[in-house]
Amino acid sequence: MSHVSDTPGTMTLPDRRFSVSERQVAVMRHIVLLGFALIVLFPFFWIVSAAFKTQIDLLMGKVLFTPRIEGFLDVIFDKTSDFARNFANSMVIGLVSTFLVLVIATLAAFSLYRLQWPAWVLHSLLGWSVIFHMVPPITLAGAWFTMFRSVGLDNSYTGIILAHTTLHLPMALWMMGVFIRDVPKELVEAAQIDGARVPEILRHVVLPIVRPGLAATGILTFIFSWNEFPVVLVLSQRQTATVPLGIGKYAQENTIAFTEMAAASTLSILPALLLLLFAQRFIVRGLTSGAVK
Amino acid sequence: MAHVRLNGLSKSYGKVDVIRDVSLDIEDGEFVVLIGPSGCGKSTLLRMIAGLESISSGQLDIGGIPMNDVPPRDRGISMVFQSYALYPHMNSADNMSFSLRLAGEQEEKRRGKVERAADILGLGPYLDRLPRQLSGGQRQRVAMGRAIVRKPEVFLFDEPLSNLDAKLRVKMRAELKELHMKLKTTTIYVTHDQVEAMTLADRIVVLRDGMIEQIGTPLELYDNPKNAFVGAFLGSPTMNLLDLEVPADNPTMARFSDGETMRLAGPAQPGPATVGIRPESFSLGSEARDGHLRAEVVVVEPTGASTELVVRKAGQNITILSHERLSAKPGDTVWFAPDAGRTHAFPAGSAEL
Repeated sequence: MSHVSDTPGTMTLPDRRFSVSERQVAVMRHIVLLGFALIVLFPFFWIVSAAFKTQIDLLMGKVLFTPRIEGFLDVIFDKTSDFARNFANSMVIGLVSTFLVLVIATLAAFSLYRLQWPAWVLHSLLGWSVIFHMVPPITLAGAWFTMFRSVGLDNSYTGIILAHTTLHLPMALWMMGVFIRDVPKELVEAAQIDGARVPEILRHVVLPIVRPGLAATGILTFIFSWNEFPVVLVLSQRQTATVPLGIGKYAQENTIAFTEMAAASTLSILPALLLLLFAQRFIVRGLTSGAVK
Repeated sequence: MAHVRLNGLSKSYGKVDVIRDVSLDIEDGEFVVLIGPSGCGKSTLLRMIAGLESISSGQLDIGGIPMNDVPPRDRGISMVFQSYALYPHMNSADNMSFSLRLAGEQEEKRRGKVERAADILGLGPYLDRLPRQLSGGQRQRVAMGRAIVRKPEVFLFDEPLSNLDAKLRVKMRAELKELHMKLKTTTIYVTHDQVEAMTLADRIVVLRDGMIEQIGTPLELYDNPKNAFVGAFLGSPTMNLLDLEVPADNPTMARFSDGETMRLAGPAQPGPATVGIRPESFSLGSEARDGHLRAEVVVVEPTGASTELVVRKAGQNITILSHERLSAKPGDTVWFAPDAGRTHAFPAGSAEL
């Protein structure tokens, strides 16, 4: 007690100094974060603002300009534009391939990690899937084109969906593997004792718990499929072209239609953004808390 | 309800034998505790009975039916896991009725059964809570409720109380015992806690290195341990294991290295021997008397109800439990006399096991 009352000045001084330095740290931290946010957001801002400029404003590098929506109107409604069609194609291909990827990856991950396979099966499958993922997709595209052509799947949804499913399965398998491994083994055993067979264990126990993982994997897979360029370039023609091809088409031999390109790019961000907002509520942490211990 | 018969059960992972030739008959309605140090295979044995581990060789019967290749769901068992393993996305009622739902029972019936189990376990107010909203003891009860509603032939418990704090553990232990008396279901219970084993079991099975060391009622094992391992494993404070010498001319005596002797319960193998004496099997005195041995006090630990005294005799520490208030201090000299009828002579060197 006496120690405190003896030295009131020295008691408060270090305190204040500490709080000041903590504030400085906070300010620094925010400056750094702001910097990162700028780095991430500036390209977006650039593209979105470019979409509202005229080609001339854009090429002259005008910072202040009157926003115009002609670019968007051209992209969506112009008779020569396929963008609406591209958009629909991307949707179908993205949604169906994502669905297939999620189903296969979840079943495979559950089987690999929770049913008793010998270790070499697990390792060789996972290893193979990584190696497959390392191959540049364009090298596969040529082979797929020849194969699909001979069975009449070139320039078809089925062909592109199959290709995208194959392309994105390894990543999804790895991700779902992590989430499935997070489901405590005892839960599966408890369900076995409670009388559940494998399909019931999956449906009633595993799937509800890995829902956040499914959402995260699904969003990523969808975005990858949405943005995939080289394979659709080879496998599709005008009827089945997707959004990246549509955007690419604005860069023509003689001119590049920057404004339309920017408008199309801006529009192409929307589905992923909406999906993210929608799926966010499934990505909750700590869903397994209370399960074991 | 059913009896469980283990006949020469073995389990090996590659070349490692985890369970070796375990045979055990568990009567209908009996409460059997499997106990042993960690790694002795007790949990593996339980999981083999549950069907979560395969049986390498031997025969398992439940209710007279061979169960070796029957999946867990058809063995008529239910199991409470150490970690409870509650389904995190289901509330207590759904957790408890999951097995009934899978069996296709009707909503009405299910609710009735869950409510009855909740009554027994005092879970009424918590039925619509998720596991994460429950305390450790409540989760434990939900896990037991989940086991009860199935009306199993056999209950399997895998260290169900080890995640609870000391006080709650004692409380749940009593509830478990009460539950068993109410339901009279055959129960196999794994623990490493000898107090749980002593208080709950009709019979205790002591396991070591995948083999049965001894089977018997708690007091049989306590009073007549077959070897030093069983003797030291059951009882707290631990049984004293003294390295003594049994003279060839008088094998009912054992000699300390300082030449003093004590009487044994009966003739023992002459030569070096390990003599086990429980801490409460001594009488104490403050002066020399016939049959009393001299020792120096090392530690005095009063707990209120009793006093634990550690004394040194001929270089060996001996723990003595006295129910009297003692005034002894470390460094004092005391005289003690082992109760000859309650000494156990084991082969020499078994204290190290």
